[in-house]
Amino acid sequence: MKLFKHLLKKNKLLFAPLLLLPLFLWAAPSAYALDGDSEGDGILKQVDKNLNPESYEMYRKLINIEPDGSKKEFVLYSVKKGQDKMVALFLSPASEKGRSTLRHGDNMWLYIPAVGRPIRITSLQSVVGGVFNNSDILRLDYSAEYDVAQVTEEEQLYLLDLKAKSNAIAYDTLKMWVDKQSLIPTTIACYAASGMLIKTLYYKQVKDFGNGIVRPSVLETDSPLYKGYKSIMIYAKINRKELADEVFSLNYLSRVDELR
Amino acid sequence: MVVMRKTIALACLAALLGVGLVIPVVSLAEDYSFNLEEYEKKSFEWGGYTELKWDHSRINTTGALGRLAFYDKPRNDLDRLTATLQLEGNYHKGIVDFNGLLQASSRRDQVDSEDHLDIFSAYASIKPSPSITFELGKKPFKWGTGYAWNPVGFINRPKDLNNPEDALEGYIGAGIDLIKSFSGTLQTVALTAVVLPVWEEVNDGFGEQDHVNLAAKLYLLYRNTDIDIVVLTGNSRSTRYGIDLSKNLASHVEIHAEVAHVPQQRVTVFNSYGILKKHDRSVTSYLFGLRYLTENNIITILEFYHNDAGYSEAEMERFYQLVNEADNLYTGSGDDSLFRKATVISRSGDAMPQIGRNYLYARIIHKEPFDLLYFIPALNAIINLDDDSYSLSPEAVYSGFTDWELRLRFSHIAGEGNTEHGEKLNEDKFELRIRYYF
Repeated sequence: MKLFKHLLKKNKLLFAPLLLLPLFLWAAPSAYALDGDSEGDGILKQVDKNLNPESYEMYRKLINIEPDGSKKEFVLYSVKKGQDKMVALFLSPASEKGRSTLRHGDNMWLYIPAVGRPIRITSLQSVVGGVFNNSDILRLDYSAEYDVAQVTEEEQLYLLDLKAKSNAIAYDTLKMWVDKQSLIPTTIACYAASGMLIKTLYYKQVKDFGNGIVRPSVLETDSPLYKGYKSIMIYAKINRKELADEVFSLNYLSRVDELR
Repeated sequence: MVVMRKTIALACLAALLGVGLVIPVVSLAEDYSFNLEEYEKKSFEWGGYTELKWDHSRINTTGALGRLAFYDKPRNDLDRLTATLQLEGNYHKGIVDFNGLLQASSRRDQVDSEDHLDIFSAYASIKPSPSITFELGKKPFKWGTGYAWNPVGFINRPKDLNNPEDALEGYIGAGIDLIKSFSGTLQTVALTAVVLPVWEEVNDGFGEQDHVNLAAKLYLLYRNTDIDIVVLTGNSRSTRYGIDLSKNLASHVEIHAEVAHVPQQRVTVFNSYGILKKHDRSVTSYLFGLRYLTENNIITILEFYHNDAGYSEAEMERFYQLVNEADNLYTGSGDDSLFRKATVISRSGDAMPQIGRNYLYARIIHKEPFDLLYFIPALNAIINLDDDSYSLSPEAVYSGFTDWELRLRFSHIAGEGNTEHGEKLNEDKFELRIRYYF
């Protein structure tokens, strides 16, 4: 403590934040280049294409189910553009209404109307509690975040072993089972860098949303970290929508409702 | 007006208690239906919360602020009940939005009672395109990247450190917001400029009257780093400059920092001759912090804050010594003149939260431990690094019932004599808060 006070008195810590500047500006490698030649990358890109249009809006209901069957529901309006920009606005329940979350590549922010300013959050946090975390709610294209390390053919399915492109991605590795015919994922197991299984995602109930969008309408998840708990995401009204890049910025977060 | 305030306060209490009788029954049925009509956009939307808070404080009877507050009516503890109603609304028509936030509260304890009705915000926004917004009216600003403190928050209202996420009252002004996105390492540039007049009954708490001030913030998202360059100029407060930064280093680590420089900050000092004196000096305050998430869902927020305009240990000791002398005089003769003088001085800053120079803030949150969904225990600590006094507050929040939130908090405030927390008003505080959102 004495040394600390001494340093303060000598003003040597005065510019400590400025000394941190190079650390801030050090950026994790954001290698989004894809090796389109490999079969695995081709499959993964097609999976992304089948799950999401290039630029769209959608409504989702998230349901957290506890072991005794009790539920808590959240309704979100989301828009996404390109591979790495997404924003979600909470419409319900009243305690969450007006909150919005923005994802821009590896960056994530949460805006709470009462707080009045966006705060940076991490992808492993959960703004809704339960099994879904922020990266599940603001999911980018799989091919934007993962490289295909290996493809294994099973009877009806491909098994893709995916490795995260940077340490800013929520899950270090994924095991993705993809239906060979429709090229839509059926099950995805998500692992931490330590090899621990964090959760398993199950895509279900393929539905025609119109305008050529045919994709699963339900995503279920469970986790060994939340024994007996289950979370479900139900998709509705997925529409292609032209969106300005400025919509995906911090200053716009308080205005997302205007897009509806 | 007083009658109206009381009516609102009583309505607020009644609403809370009335709603409290109907604890929602959680549905057990399997229902994955999704009726979108319920969520269609309406031109007018409103919501808010009602809250009931009870707190029990053990008064620090030997501390300077405890003696100053209760020298003529000594007591060991205090029970307080506060009812709050917060209403917010939005009316949307074409490119124009009207927003408002109103808070009514009623507070009762064994010594005093207070009713408030405040308009926190009331402003119109005109949005001709996603890149441009014009705003006019009363709006709160929360600039800066720090969680507990914001040295660059030149037009922010001071936060309540015990509830840093609560709504705050705004300032009246006119502003413009411009956004431009790019592809490449510079991803976003945004400029926010606010004109803030200070006249009689308009922003009169902001600073010197009869001046028009300009605050501006240039935001850059550069190499995945949030950078804000902030300036305030005008004669209500002296000109000041600041920069803040925030970045995610990994999926579980965020770091942030702020630096603010005020070349001529007006500071009030209680000098060694026992006189309150104002003078200008150059001040550079800064903050750096991090947010870290472990694999088992524990979030730690740590912040170091250097408040260059704060009081030195010697300046604070002078004030505590004055209260000692006031106590001796009052006990011996019943003369409270020194206590009255100390009250005046305390209003200049000595009784304010965080008046010292170097602080450490820590908040450790364990989200949903032991598979207990919506249960969030946390521990908050504020340490004055110069005198080693501290406040430690464990708390638990439960939000499992839709739209309800229950919070239990205990605070222990401690330090030696002549230290900031050792001389605070309370030694311990127990608080129960029930909030219902609608």
